[in-house]
Amino acid sequence: MKLRTRITGRGIATVAMIAAAAMMSPVDAKTRVAVGATETISSHNPHGDSISMGYGIWCQVYGCLGYFDFKTGSYKGMLAERWEIDKKDPNIWTFYLRKGLKRHNDGKELTSADVVHSFWRMKNDPQSRQTQNVKHVAKTEALDKYTVRVTTKKPTAPLLEFLFDRVMITGKDLYDKHGAKTADRKHPWGWGPYKLQKIEIGQRIVLEKDPGNRWASKSMPDELMFRVMREAEQRVTALLNNEIQIAQFIPPHLGSRIAKSKNANLVPTSSVELMFLAMSPKHKPWDNATLRKAVCHAINRDAIIKAILKGQANRLDAPIGQGQYGYDPEAAKKMKVEYDVAKGKALIEKAGLVGLKVELHTPVGRYVNDKQVTESMIPMLKAIGLDARLKTPEWATLWANVQKGKVPFFYMGRGGVVDPSPAFAQYFETNGSPRIGFSNANVDRLLQKERATFDPEARKKVLNQAFAEIVKHQPACFMWRHKLLYGIAKNVSYKPTPTGRIWGYAISVK
Amino acid sequence: MLNYIIRRVLGTIPVIILISLLVFMLVQAAPGDPADLLLSDEATPEDIAAARERWGLNQPVYVQYWKFLVAALQGDLGTSFRYADPVLLMIGDRLPATIELAIVAILIAVVIGVPLGVWAGARPNSWVDNVGSFFGFFGISMPSFWFGIMLILIVSGFLNLLPSAGRNTYGVADDPITGFYILDSLLYWNWKAVWDGISYIILPAIALGTNMLGILMRVTRSSVLEVMSDDFIRTARAKGLSEHTVLWRHTVRNALIPIITVVGLELGTLLSGSIIVETVFSWPGSGSLLIEALNSRDYPLITGTVLTYTFMFVIINLTIDILYAAIDPRIRYDK
Amino acid sequence: MTNSVLPQSASESVPMETQHMHDLRKRLGPWLKPKILVGGTFVLLLCFMGVFSPWISPHDPNAQNLLNTLQPPGWWAGENFLGTDHVGRDILSRIFFGARISLIIAITVVLISGVVGVALGAISGFFAGHIDFGIQKLVEVVWAFPPLLLAIAIVAFFGQSLIILIVALVVQRWIPYCRVARGQALSLRTRDFVDAARSLGASNGRIIGVHILPNLMQAALVIGTFAMASAIISEASLSFLGLGVPPEIPTWGSMLADGRTYISTSWWLALFPGLCIFFTVLGINMLGDGMRDIFDPRLKRSGSGTG
Repeated sequence: MKLRTRITGRGIATVAMIAAAAMMSPVDAKTRVAVGATETISSHNPHGDSISMGYGIWCQVYGCLGYFDFKTGSYKGMLAERWEIDKKDPNIWTFYLRKGLKRHNDGKELTSADVVHSFWRMKNDPQSRQTQNVKHVAKTEALDKYTVRVTTKKPTAPLLEFLFDRVMITGKDLYDKHGAKTADRKHPWGWGPYKLQKIEIGQRIVLEKDPGNRWASKSMPDELMFRVMREAEQRVTALLNNEIQIAQFIPPHLGSRIAKSKNANLVPTSSVELMFLAMSPKHKPWDNATLRKAVCHAINRDAIIKAILKGQANRLDAPIGQGQYGYDPEAAKKMKVEYDVAKGKALIEKAGLVGLKVELHTPVGRYVNDKQVTESMIPMLKAIGLDARLKTPEWATLWANVQKGKVPFFYMGRGGVVDPSPAFAQYFETNGSPRIGFSNANVDRLLQKERATFDPEARKKVLNQAFAEIVKHQPACFMWRHKLLYGIAKNVSYKPTPTGRIWGYAISVK
Repeated sequence: MLNYIIRRVLGTIPVIILISLLVFMLVQAAPGDPADLLLSDEATPEDIAAARERWGLNQPVYVQYWKFLVAALQGDLGTSFRYADPVLLMIGDRLPATIELAIVAILIAVVIGVPLGVWAGARPNSWVDNVGSFFGFFGISMPSFWFGIMLILIVSGFLNLLPSAGRNTYGVADDPITGFYILDSLLYWNWKAVWDGISYIILPAIALGTNMLGILMRVTRSSVLEVMSDDFIRTARAKGLSEHTVLWRHTVRNALIPIITVVGLELGTLLSGSIIVETVFSWPGSGSLLIEALNSRDYPLITGTVLTYTFMFVIINLTIDILYAAIDPRIRYDK
Repeated sequence: MTNSVLPQSASESVPMETQHMHDLRKRLGPWLKPKILVGGTFVLLLCFMGVFSPWISPHDPNAQNLLNTLQPPGWWAGENFLGTDHVGRDILSRIFFGARISLIIAITVVLISGVVGVALGAISGFFAGHIDFGIQKLVEVVWAFPPLLLAIAIVAFFGQSLIILIVALVVQRWIPYCRVARGQALSLRTRDFVDAARSLGASNGRIIGVHILPNLMQAALVIGTFAMASAIISEASLSFLGLGVPPEIPTWGSMLADGRTYISTSWWLALFPGLCIFFTVLGINMLGDGMRDIFDPRLKRSGSGTG
């Protein structure tokens, strides 16, 4: 009895004090930035994910060969200082590594052996989800301590799209000594500016700045934490509560809450994800080009962008937009598809397809306001004379059917399109993938040509020719690119990138 | 009694095995290919084929199931496709969070719902009854995800009283012992962490437990009403026992059976309702793990998590049945 | 009203019409309690909304207007009484049409699962032995599936439609009825009145139907009222996960799920369907509660007011 009252008495006092203390923010010398993110990585294995967030984190911890600088619109080197393509044999790329880069913890220098090993591991690790990044690479060799030769299977102008921002370099010595699992978990040491402090799968990832690192500067946060917050309301609330300082991917209608708040700014950035309506010519009557044209004329993109996306999207006139490699505003103007209900109606009548039953398939919750956007398209399709219905299958089912090419008409996005080459080859080249099943000899020829054209100006021209050809046949109606909305605390300065990767060295705490 | 227990326990084994078979088949039969879903958008057909081979998906289903069963009986529930970690480990990591949430939710529901129901039942049609019943109706009609979001908006957003997501603040708690944060913090005597844990769990627990609160209140009320009109209550009153004794000692004990039934039945709803609440509050439990697994058709993880839930339900059912038999001797029967 | 002649004393005879009225009032009396009146009114109102929705809706529930999205409620003054949703559809009209579907779903699910569950439970509890064993094994197997998994599997496998949704909701809902019915039957089967009935030559079927089932009715009624609410809420939850009815059918549940995205900026999208669900449940519960008060003979005996 006595013990109990003693503990109760002390307990109450302690709890009261702690409660009071908990209300006040901790006094700390370290600067911390927490990011509210929608995704999570699956494992300690840097090759175990192929999502944007994963690449972003591992490139900061282990270091990547290079990255795409959106400010200048060109590729810049990180672990690689410079690179060149052999003049005589365009299959040969030579990367020159920076000298004297010291690793976390043990200070080991970066060498070409590590790079060769990383390419090998990316391809052969049983858990690797990144094998497609090295699919064009025939072999990698270490020419000397700081030089790596990468040989491609065929001349591949957009090779850096596959390698930069994606291939992270892990230590060969640690792998050989400890094996993959232990090396990843117990010795996640790399050449990037941040050390991996902790991963709690599904909850948070904590990075800590390595002050001695070449890219680490004082203004960068000492601790960078990624917290998983899937609900948008939650991210907004947490931002306004100062539980996080950066909130990723705010939906358009919540933007005003952040814009109006006292302690956070709304920062939009264009994205590199193309949203489109795909129409598969493999399924009748979608093989009828008139039908496809009519559908593209029927969609009032501006109204949707204004009403449902609250203006937070950039309409796609050409298949790509400003900031993406190869964009030509003049060419884009010529490729624009006008919203024209009368024309759409006339085309449908001409094709004799009035009253045709069509089903638009859409994922739900995968893209910004996907269901709302496609809901608004149904009356637009009805207006040109089609009997349209919306289908909202569960993602796994929809994706399985899309992959098999079984869905004739669907709304989808294709992300990560910095250099458009891989995406367009996948969707619009013959045998690129079964998703749309579009096949056109001209388009094939042009896409193959652009891949082999190394001169940037010439390549841009060929790319736009390919785009014009694709828009002419319209296997897809290109809709828009969403603007990624970030909520950023007023005491943090950060310019988000269109890929959604969050770089600690771009963040500074005031 | 012992006989009864043994018989029931043995009876659960074929049930669990049957369920494992059904789940296995169901999950494989549903459309969707894990290799497609888990690999990148840009993966080549060769990559996908290699993944399928690696995961053993090209073998006939009954072969896969047999391998699974043999491994499961030895305590190995397979390896997750997505996370490449053993399923048992992953579940073990996340399950305590769900159980902790469920326990606090049940506590809230029982501690508030049952007394409310008893008082309401003892004074039908009085203001106590009306107020109590209102709580009951509120609880039943409120969808948990809606309530959860309202709670986040109002308590966390507007009033700024409690955190809105997750399970604890980074750096406050020490390394886990049992996986139950609050319990662990108590064991460490780390009051800051205890308070921290409570502040995170309270909103999701309220969102989760309100439904059960409503049901418990209503069932307790109707059960008390029923018992109060039974003859033996009249006898007790006639014997001159105080209303209080009549109410608590006699009435409540006899009203317990439906209450226990409801708690047992609702535990299932609670555990699956936690899936939604966990999503809304980013609570890192096995419910949200299951949803992710379903969306990516991560077969081993799905089967493992469902089996774990199954196991828990079966144990709960068993316990309820035994409690039945213990409380009401009229139910115990031997053939 | 007829000429109401008040009797001067109990022994004085009264004219035939007022005797009739007096009997009527006596029989109606117990039904006129506030619980039943209020509850019944809500339920009737909602049935009215559902049945007459095409005639009372000011707009087509599927008519979109992208120039008029997310408008707050206009009440009597404005174009849209309860405002518009994210594609400009009138919310009031959608509520009326939603009443229809939500009620159909709830009633169908409860009836089917109730009948199946009570039947199986009564049989299981009354006969005990192997039959009980078998049925309870079935219960355990079906029950042990997390409800969501089974529902997701059914909808993913068979597609989205109203019928499939009902199947997905019923497939586990009959179990609570079964369990409680079984519990009651188990405890009742050993009661004296069952032995008495049997000694009088009653068949098993008759015993179940006449003696056991009526005693279950109350429990079944109470569960039924919860079940209607839970069916409507489950439909909302499945819609929340993207598995409810196809998008062109308005239900309160899917309106709630859609409106959830906009809760902090356009609260009216989610509030009104939520309120409808709440009042539906309230009404049903009050009605069920009131009816139970009338039907329960034991309450009558204890003199708790129904005389």
